[in-house]
Amino acid sequence: MTAPLTPGRAVVLVARREFTTQVRSKSFAIGLLVTIVIFGIYIALFSFIGSQSSSNSLGLTSSTASLEPALQDAAKAQDRTLTITRVDRAAGEAQVADGDLDALLDGGPGSWTLLGKDTVDSSLQQLVTGAVQQTTLTDALTAAGQDPAAVAARGNVTVDTQEPVDPERGQRLVLAIVVAVLLFMSLVGYGSAVAQGVVEEKSSRVVELLLSTIRPVHLLTGKILGLGLVGLVQLLILSAIGLVGSLTTGILTIPNAAAGALVSAVVWYLLGFFLYASIYAAAGSLVSRQEELQSTVAPIMFPLFIPFIFAVSVLPNDPRNTLGTILSFIPLFSPTLMPARAAMGVAPLWQVLVAIALTILAIVGVVLAAARIYRNSVLRTGARVSLRDALRARA
Amino acid sequence: MLDIGGISKRFGQVQALDRVTFTVQPGELFGFVGSNGAGKTTTMRIVLGVLTSDGGEVRWKGRPIDADVRRRIGYMPEERGLYPKMKVGEQLEYLARLHGLDAADARASVERWTSRLGVESRIRDEVQKLSLGNQQRVQLCAALVHDPEVLVLDEPFSGLDPVAVEVMSTVLREKADTGVPVIFSSHQLDLVERLCDRVGIISAGRMVAAGTVDELRTGGAERIDVTGPPPGWADTLPGVRVVESGPRATRVELDGATDQDVLRAAVAAGPVRSFGPHRPPLTELYRDVVAAPAVTEEES
Repeated sequence: MTAPLTPGRAVVLVARREFTTQVRSKSFAIGLLVTIVIFGIYIALFSFIGSQSSSNSLGLTSSTASLEPALQDAAKAQDRTLTITRVDRAAGEAQVADGDLDALLDGGPGSWTLLGKDTVDSSLQQLVTGAVQQTTLTDALTAAGQDPAAVAARGNVTVDTQEPVDPERGQRLVLAIVVAVLLFMSLVGYGSAVAQGVVEEKSSRVVELLLSTIRPVHLLTGKILGLGLVGLVQLLILSAIGLVGSLTTGILTIPNAAAGALVSAVVWYLLGFFLYASIYAAAGSLVSRQEELQSTVAPIMFPLFIPFIFAVSVLPNDPRNTLGTILSFIPLFSPTLMPARAAMGVAPLWQVLVAIALTILAIVGVVLAAARIYRNSVLRTGARVSLRDALRARA
Repeated sequence: MLDIGGISKRFGQVQALDRVTFTVQPGELFGFVGSNGAGKTTTMRIVLGVLTSDGGEVRWKGRPIDADVRRRIGYMPEERGLYPKMKVGEQLEYLARLHGLDAADARASVERWTSRLGVESRIRDEVQKLSLGNQQRVQLCAALVHDPEVLVLDEPFSGLDPVAVEVMSTVLREKADTGVPVIFSSHQLDLVERLCDRVGIISAGRMVAAGTVDELRTGGAERIDVTGPPPGWADTLPGVRVVESGPRATRVELDGATDQDVLRAAVAAGPVRSFGPHRPPLTELYRDVVAAPAVTEEES
């Protein structure tokens, strides 16, 4: 009636329980729905902000009225809307105070003043300063008998690139950010699920029953595989909805790059998940109650947050940032940073492969250490187990 | 035969087990008693391989217990352990399969044991929705569901109502009668005495007595209960020690005198209503054996 249970079967049994329990739970469906809604809101927000052109209102007095054509030209060149109102000084000051005007330009050559309420929008400042300086220069050159256009032509700088400018850069950027967000979410979400699962087994004491029939490492492996698969399913569902949605609505027009980003996201999710899930599991095994879990898993957020912040804030403006390149090779940071760089098209294949190799090496080390911590602390209940004890003790 | 051979375990400064040795025969119900922290749970955990011992060995049928044998042991941990949010039936099936049953056998076995223990109507309920008593029945199902060769139960009776105690006792007896060695620990000494074939008493990590209750009784000096003679009649009797005396009954321990000496003295002192050897219950034997209770916190 009973057959010997091979390690493989034990792991599969545990993984299947984790998978079905998680997928059938309300939190899985709700989490998926909430994520989709959040993504929808983000996309709507982005396209709304993108469609808005910046506009400013500026008051001109009689002494500055002659600058109006130059100001409008400058605004047009920057694709901005500038509403100009002619006022006298007193009325202008009142309107600035009321907020009807963003700023009031007054004065004359040598004494130009731009009056704002408590600050003047820096882009408006630049626009006005540029237009006034340009006008002053043009006037001075004309007075000196020079042709302003000829002078300007002499100082013209032509911008050229060695490689053709990537017309898809904007879209690649969106892809990179989406990939980084998805990976960050999946790693944090399902990593914590592993930690919670470990603590649930400890706090309900079912772990003692389980470990009387299977080995700790099989329980741990099954749990990580099962929950990792749930995370993968979620990642694929979200990516599919996102890809189909954005390709059909025309937000994305580069299906090949998108597919590439998806493949790399899946690969990096798997690598990152094994790395982080083992750390989360080890952290979970140190405590006995859910309430204590937060304190041990909080430090794990740092190595996840740093590359994520980097990917969404620094890389968009500076894809070839040196620090970013270096960080993307460090195993704990690679899983979010390298796919973001790859999606942006600034990581050559050899860099990706090196980062994958380094991460795999790190996984081997981390999994061994985590398994040891888990084995040594999972049956110890009561006070939190210190990391040193967990690494040293033999149960 | 389950052979616990000289197992020792130390937790930091505390010697939790000191060369604990006893055997349990197939078909035997073995009661394991001792105060809190004496080492019962630690011993059971070592048998199950949940803890490793510092020394000594546990053997089943002459061979050291390995992972394969452990899988055929039924275990009920002291701290009950089930997934609170998992349904009773699914949970038991899962545990049965982890013990090596295939899907069909696991389902059949879950049906059999849940109905045997009267929780078959709760199969589709989450464990946390059951009363504590019913959770305990499910916990026993978990120990039995893979048809174990050996049963190790840590305080299976604690927290059960009298009906459940009867059901549990019957199941354990039946299981033993099929040739399974059954070890269980309990603080309910009268129950242990009534149910068990043999008893082991552990104190401060040492096995201080093991055997049938009758065997344990033979250790001490003979005692005699006498009712009838007025109080104080035996106080000055040579060769005996008065253990207990009440208004009508007196219990004496023979220390040189014979039972006939005592009987003659009693008849001389007053009318004797009853006279006979005292058969101390387990509670009393336990109290005598565990003279110096060393209570330390049970660890891990």
